[in-house]
Amino acid sequence: MLRQALVPALLAAGLLLTAGAAQAQCKSFAKNKCVPGLAPYKFNETFNGAQLAPGDEAEVALTFYSGQEYRVMVCVHQILGEVNWKLVDQNNRIVFESMADEPKPHFDFKAASTTQMRLVVWVPNRAKSDMTHLGCVAIMVGFKE
Amino acid sequence: MLNMPHPRTILPIAVALLLAACGGGEQPQDTLQAPNADSLAQSERVGRTKKIFYSIPSPMETAALLKKAGAAYNGKILNDVKNVDKYTAASKQALNLGVYGADLSYANVFSHTQETMFYTSCARRLADKLGVTSAFNDSTMQLMEENQNDREKLMDVISETYWDMDRYLKVNDRENISALMIAGGWVEGLYIATQVAGSSPSAELKQRIAEQKLSLTDLNALLATYGEDETLTGVRADLEALAALYADVQAGGGGATTTTQENGVTVIGSESGPATLTDAQLKAITEKAAAIRNTYIN
Repeated sequence: MLRQALVPALLAAGLLLTAGAAQAQCKSFAKNKCVPGLAPYKFNETFNGAQLAPGDEAEVALTFYSGQEYRVMVCVHQILGEVNWKLVDQNNRIVFESMADEPKPHFDFKAASTTQMRLVVWVPNRAKSDMTHLGCVAIMVGFKE
Repeated sequence: MLNMPHPRTILPIAVALLLAACGGGEQPQDTLQAPNADSLAQSERVGRTKKIFYSIPSPMETAALLKKAGAAYNGKILNDVKNVDKYTAASKQALNLGVYGADLSYANVFSHTQETMFYTSCARRLADKLGVTSAFNDSTMQLMEENQNDREKLMDVISETYWDMDRYLKVNDRENISALMIAGGWVEGLYIATQVAGSSPSAELKQRIAEQKLSLTDLNALLATYGEDETLTGVRADLEALAALYADVQAGGGGATTTTQENGVTVIGSESGPATLTDAQLKAITEKAAAIRNTYIN
């Protein structure tokens, strides 16, 4: 009886720890490998990142303030290879796109007016493999003071 | 001739004095429970294949916007460093870690080094009380002391410290503390902006305050991902009350975008007009932000 209750509890605790550790690893990766790529823009200190697998998609709503200059960048752990990402406005018009077969390192622009856009990133499915690779994908925004 | 003490001798004393500026330490009256599976990392909560994030502007970004809008620095409106020992409940400590974080960002962006150091020591003391000491230790304070005249470097150290704290909280499944920190910092940012606008009003400052409707919507969405976490109930109610006052504010940010090139730089515009708010709306938001903030700091 006790064992029946204990096993799911231990599994749940294990999952919690694993998820927390994965998030922390992703944050370390972003801090060490991605933040330097924002220079000369200043990192906005907001971390948007997660461990993704091929086929996964992530999305973040971003607000860009008028008069500010920005660099938007998607930083990916090498195990995943290149990913696809795009910035779309509220009418779903693509403002910027970087595809895995022709990746662009970042998108620099000036916001003439305050604008909300969605950044959508998705990891392409690679050749079939028995292994599922998980890797960190970090969405980074820098601005000029 | 007097012998000048070596800087290495001065530093520990200076650090000790800074810490003393924020009083002594006490144990929390309450503790924040580790969240259940529903309040895991926001990215992990929303299914496997589609992950959604909510991006809340950091206090540093908000302070930089205020500076660009022509705001003046007013240290008198910030939370008193002496208040730090009043926060015995863990939820208050987490909220005020955000408040002091916003205060030190505001002071640093406006190059008020001494205040930056005082507020940093307050933040450190609250981090200690919350058990996040490993991310905010004596060597961090020493590094800040050594770079106190280099605003850029100082901000880098502050940023790194916040990252480490956040990472610590994530690893230890204490994300509700992180959420309270973010909420406390956002409320303090709005409070500072409205107070500054009250004393030196300008159209640009009003616009920035109106635009906070966008980040408030994202902040409420972020808090909603924590399910029924009781720790966040009060803060949620506060932010919903603010959202009600923002309901009729024209925040801009929507509609289709336009893309042009100016001297090789991509310029993104929006067909929607700039954010605006009436004097009555500004007054109501100012009063509400002050009332909420006062419940956090007292």
